[in-house]
Amino acid sequence: MEDIGMEEDSAEISGSAQKQGVADAWETVTAALMSPGGLGPEQGLWDSLALLSGEGLGRLLGGWLLETLQMRLSSAVVPEFWAELKQPENELEERGRAWVLLTAFQTLLGRLEPFLGGLERLESWQDEGRGSVCGPGPGGLQERAFTIIRALLLFSPSPVLQERVLEFYSRTFSVYMHQEGQAEDGAEAPEGPEGGVCPGCGVPTQQCWCKEALAQLKELSHILSKLQLLEWVSCEAVTSILHKLIEQRMEQHCRGEYERSFLLEFQTWLELVLGWLSKVFASEAEKDGLVPAPGAPGAPGAPSVPSTPSLQAGQPGSSVLKQWRCHMHQFFCRIYVNMRIEELFSIIRDFPESKAAIEDLKFCLERTNQRQQLLTSLKSAFESRLLHPGVHTSDILTVYISAIKALRELDPSMVILQVACQPIRKYLRTREDTVRQIVAGLTGDAEGCTDLASELSRGDPVTLEMQDSDEEGADPEDWTPDPTDAVPDKMGSKRRSSDIISLLVSIYGSKDIFIDEYRAVLADRLLHQLNYNTAREIRNVELLKLRFGESHMHYCEVMLKDMADSRRINSNIREEESRLSEEEQPPLSLSSIILSSEFWPPLKEEKLELPPVVCQAMEAYTHRYEKLKAMRTLSWKPHLGSVTLDLELEDRTLTNLTVSPIHAAIILHFQDKSSWTLEELSVKLGAPKELLHRKLALWQQHGVLREEAGGRYYVVETGSSKEKMDRGVMLIDSDEERDSNTTTQSEQREEKLQLFWAYIQAMLTNLDSMTLDRIHSMLRMFVATGPVVTEMDINELEGFLQRKVREHQLLVSAGVYRLPKAN
Amino acid sequence: MASQNQDPAAAATLKASETGGSAARGSVTKRLQQELMTLMMSGDKGISAFPESDNLFKWVGTIDGAQGTVYEGLRYRLSLEFPAGYPYQAPRVKFLTSCFHPNVDPQGFICLDILKDKWSALYDVRCILLSLQSLLGEPNNESPLNTTAAELWENQEAFKAHLHSTFQG
Repeated sequence: MEDIGMEEDSAEISGSAQKQGVADAWETVTAALMSPGGLGPEQGLWDSLALLSGEGLGRLLGGWLLETLQMRLSSAVVPEFWAELKQPENELEERGRAWVLLTAFQTLLGRLEPFLGGLERLESWQDEGRGSVCGPGPGGLQERAFTIIRALLLFSPSPVLQERVLEFYSRTFSVYMHQEGQAEDGAEAPEGPEGGVCPGCGVPTQQCWCKEALAQLKELSHILSKLQLLEWVSCEAVTSILHKLIEQRMEQHCRGEYERSFLLEFQTWLELVLGWLSKVFASEAEKDGLVPAPGAPGAPGAPSVPSTPSLQAGQPGSSVLKQWRCHMHQFFCRIYVNMRIEELFSIIRDFPESKAAIEDLKFCLERTNQRQQLLTSLKSAFESRLLHPGVHTSDILTVYISAIKALRELDPSMVILQVACQPIRKYLRTREDTVRQIVAGLTGDAEGCTDLASELSRGDPVTLEMQDSDEEGADPEDWTPDPTDAVPDKMGSKRRSSDIISLLVSIYGSKDIFIDEYRAVLADRLLHQLNYNTAREIRNVELLKLRFGESHMHYCEVMLKDMADSRRINSNIREEESRLSEEEQPPLSLSSIILSSEFWPPLKEEKLELPPVVCQAMEAYTHRYEKLKAMRTLSWKPHLGSVTLDLELEDRTLTNLTVSPIHAAIILHFQDKSSWTLEELSVKLGAPKELLHRKLALWQQHGVLREEAGGRYYVVETGSSKEKMDRGVMLIDSDEERDSNTTTQSEQREEKLQLFWAYIQAMLTNLDSMTLDRIHSMLRMFVATGPVVTEMDINELEGFLQRKVREHQLLVSAGVYRLPKAN
Repeated sequence: MASQNQDPAAAATLKASETGGSAARGSVTKRLQQELMTLMMSGDKGISAFPESDNLFKWVGTIDGAQGTVYEGLRYRLSLEFPAGYPYQAPRVKFLTSCFHPNVDPQGFICLDILKDKWSALYDVRCILLSLQSLLGEPNNESPLNTTAAELWENQEAFKAHLHSTFQG
């Protein structure tokens, strides 16, 4: 306050001379502030300064300097900068554009340097306490100057700047990565050196400007840092480059590749990238050591610090780079998770092989907040790719099992598994063959899923889960709460099972369905092999007992016991028979499996009357059984079983044929009479004609029987071996030798014609009369064609219909076919 | 097992109604084709049916009166129309040949539980035709559509006489 008073006084007293002196001093001081480098006569300057501060004008210096800077900036420097940047526009190639960018900034720096120098000097004066040059604290003036520069320069930045910077950084990035990459591995240059193009800067090698680019990068970074523009100019470009490159690299390397872990690989790559970043932010980083960078460029909140030990030690511990590192890791995780979420269905499908991908995903997922996204996407992937009628149930089950395994890895709390697989479980409930498929899988019958069988033999869930819960009880410290997206249910996390079989069985909520189905499968298997050999079944039943409990498997146990008992009873009866005299010996040896009908699933009934010889043998067997087991008798299922027989024909013998009872019964009848019609056989055997017709085919194929006109079958007593040979060949290629060809081809043909005839009869019954064309088109439309039933061309059909007309099974008049009235 | 008996196509139909219904129609077509095949292979005497034209959803059926009943020797024509929701909805079946019968009205409409509330997806065309064939011989006089016929049924001779005199094959 005193100063001001004095100023007023002296102004009045000394008059204009004094004023002149002040003006000169002002001139001197401002000139000195603005002069580049070396100062004039030091002493004069100090005197002027003293005078000015004496006059109380010292404090105005800072304001004046900023004012001047602002004026200069807005009137000349900024327009010049933009003009320079834009000026060459489309004329230059990349290298030239980089150069323009650099020179623009160089000019800018050149223009602003005097001011910055002045500010610095002013501040140093302040620090030295010269005069009463006071300002807004240390660094305050410079801070304000930089703010002004930023404000004016970037108030309305042209997109050109961003483009240029982006281009320039991309280029230097590729140059840098190329150089570093060469040192590390060759994989960094996907284009390769073909055509003599420098992989770094993308121009022919002789014009390579890699070195230049790096030098330019260094200089630019230096200038920007000096103007404190680095953060503002480069951040956006750098961020977008990094994002783009990480994305690109991931697309190239990781997409569709699930068998390798990419975390480490990316870790090292990111470190490499960090090397480039340290070049971009070089000056910033150096400065960092001294002054903490104000508002360092970078990461908008990187909440978790990825575990990146080592490698950092050698570099300057700069916070800028640290933040960039966090940012990159965060970004990497996010992109990785995004990509894997997209691919999750395929990953699950390939599961045991794609374990690496699951582990990577788990690591990254823990660092990003994308569980919800994962769940939604996975659910919809299941729905669109799996849960529709076109997918076989066994495939759905296979994927479900993989999903259980994979998601178990991904999320040990099982919540993802539970939530994402809900639609699968719901859908499987609507499939009719789900149970059958699962049971087939358990018993190792299914071709697709062998996992289940091995899962079954792995152990029982009861003890497995008991162990788990014991451990849980032992260490309460390890308890973790459920993730927030868990479905609230009464089961709680403890009961959320990851056991594959338990999960599958619980689809229906009840074990009984599975046990019933298993019983049916077991019955089938036992009745098919017919050899009392039950080792494998016993093992399965024991394993299932562990899972479902003893009582549930009781029926199956009885079934297995039946097998063992049958074997014993059988050998007993055999022994008894062997003690009989020669003529009392039974004509054929009979073994039986004796089922306790209460415990077996209902068996298919089929009517079949066996020839008397066999019936007698059965009766004898029954008698012996009744003797053995009082109060019990046998009720035979003649259609189940198998017969081993030898056929003796005039010129040949077929030995050791194993066929079904009906086949045997048929051929046995031919022993008494060498020709039968279908009707006769049907009456004898008590079986429908269609069935017999099908069964006869076997003997026709063996060349034992042949069919002749009128549906009569004859024994082929003499079949020359040559003919048999032909037949064997003919099965494979049928167009040669029409004559010998007849058996199989005609049979197929006959089957086809019979089918067509049924259709034709039906359509004529219901639609009265039809033309050839219409019959043909109807057949084409409605007969489901298969390997046997192929389409019939119209000429063939006409021939067939004419035959039927000749046989009086069809009438034709004026091109219209109809059935005869009485049928 | 009850849960397995749910309509597996319910979800599919729902979906299909969004995507234009072609998928559901496809599965119905497949089923009908399969039924036709079954019917053709079964070789049952006295019943028969076939699609009327190229439309698989509209069939013509034929039933011969069973032996030993008053309908012996008479042949009846029927029309069967399958809704898009088949087999979860019953087909519409009616007599084309006029049929004097307690459970058939003059327009040919039939009163038969399995075609109404007792319909199940497990039934098929063959089953329907066999049921109708047996219905001819064993009418349900409790709920007649044609009271004249129901009253006359007691007197089989008179019924037969009336039936045959009015029959228009």
